[in-house]
Amino acid sequence: MAIAEKKAVIGLSWQPKLPATLSSASTNNNGGVNESQSQRESSLLWRPNTELVDGLFVPPNDPKKLNKLLKKQIKDTAGTSWFDMPAATITPELKKDLQLLKLRSAMDPKRHYKKSEAKSKTLPKYFQVGTVVESSTDFFSSRLTKKERKATLADELLSDPTLGQYRKRKVREIESQNRPAGNDKWKMRGRQSQKRAKQRRH
Amino acid sequence: MRPPRGRGGGGGFRGGRGDGGGRGRGGGRGGGGGRGGGSAMRGRGGGRGGGRGGGRGRGGGGMKGGSKVVVEPHRHEGVFIAKGKEDALVTKNLVAGEAVYNEKRISVQNEDGTKVEYRIWNPFRSKLAAAVLGGVDNIWIKPGARVLYLGAASGTTVSHVSDIVGPNGVVYAVEFSHRSGRDLVNMAKKRTNVIPIIEDARHPAKYRMLVGMVDVIFSDVAQPDQARILALNASYFLKAGGHFVISIKANCIDSTVPAEAVFQSEVKKLQQDQFKPFEQVTLEPFERDHACVVGGYRMPKKQKA
Repeated sequence: MAIAEKKAVIGLSWQPKLPATLSSASTNNNGGVNESQSQRESSLLWRPNTELVDGLFVPPNDPKKLNKLLKKQIKDTAGTSWFDMPAATITPELKKDLQLLKLRSAMDPKRHYKKSEAKSKTLPKYFQVGTVVESSTDFFSSRLTKKERKATLADELLSDPTLGQYRKRKVREIESQNRPAGNDKWKMRGRQSQKRAKQRRH
Repeated sequence: MRPPRGRGGGGGFRGGRGDGGGRGRGGGRGGGGGRGGGSAMRGRGGGRGGGRGGGRGRGGGGMKGGSKVVVEPHRHEGVFIAKGKEDALVTKNLVAGEAVYNEKRISVQNEDGTKVEYRIWNPFRSKLAAAVLGGVDNIWIKPGARVLYLGAASGTTVSHVSDIVGPNGVVYAVEFSHRSGRDLVNMAKKRTNVIPIIEDARHPAKYRMLVGMVDVIFSDVAQPDQARILALNASYFLKAGGHFVISIKANCIDSTVPAEAVFQSEVKKLQQDQFKPFEQVTLEPFERDHACVVGGYRMPKKQKA
């Protein structure tokens, strides 16, 4: 039993269909298959045992299904016109960087950008993140030192000392604007508060 | 100092001129706005006379080595934009790991471990890049295209054109001067899709055996008879329904009349030679008194429906 289960998980290995063991192992086997199916829904290579014919993968007869399968296997790219630039998987850090790029005009008051083609918040699908490599002539003029180099765009902007002051000032401005009017001290905090106690005494 | 003319926009490429060379960073950057600093450039540009205005020793793009950028496809096929603190036009490097004229590169590590490289395309050194940033509708140079490039000079722009057309395209680069032709040949040694031709573009018969039928002719010869040169080459090599891109430097054709008049007369000349100009853009923030005209050659007549 234990061996049969293991084989079901591996899946691709060929195993003869034995009618004798099938009846006994069927319930157990099916359970294992269902579990692993939910685990590896996305995997293209792996097929559950039920879809394998004699342990081999046979493409479906139905052309509709076949096309669907083929479409799934083609990697999503920007097309030959842009040399098959792949669609990147978006991680939280990457997402933050892309959002930062959209809002970069707010980072520096002295820098102006061309209007972005898409005003919406949609992030680009096809893109690559790269590092600028300077030529040897730029060694003194246009190079970040090792300390200045950061892993992401957000880190780079955060570590820029010239931008820090402006950012801080702007954040303070916005915060003071959004703060509700009045002073916190004047607030009545219910009947049992310290302030009321004084009034109650008189 | 003349007042700014035409649309001085195209501000996306900030600090394109900034670093390296004699000008300090502060000088290049002090303009503030995207179009600021244009006057500074113009003032300096006044000093240089004829010949090609390709300034040397300037770094491409204001982005410093080591900074992170996001590379995205541009509207034009085969061209990309690198976005970081600044924007820069880039092309995918055909020969990874090699810079042609000490331009900056952008190396990308793909998710599957492969490495890709892009090269920054400086609009101050390349009229084609200036035209792209000037907002030209279509440059017709795209992956797989066959391009005849007249006036290749040292091959800086040619290398980017060779990047754009990719391994399936061909660039025939014609240059008369031996001195800059040497750089061109050295560049072409590493790029299999560039065919350097050291000949006078006025006599296309001399290199007719080297060049096949082409889809696009790019002409940057800056000669008084450049319209005639283009027509001659087009009659030899350009396919019917092909396209041309010509950069016109007003000073080189007639320095006594205003630039607009020169452009107009050049466009007239082109129209007489079966060219059909589609559009004209000024290369203003990057080059002074230049225009780029894009059009078709022997365009098929439109069917009357």
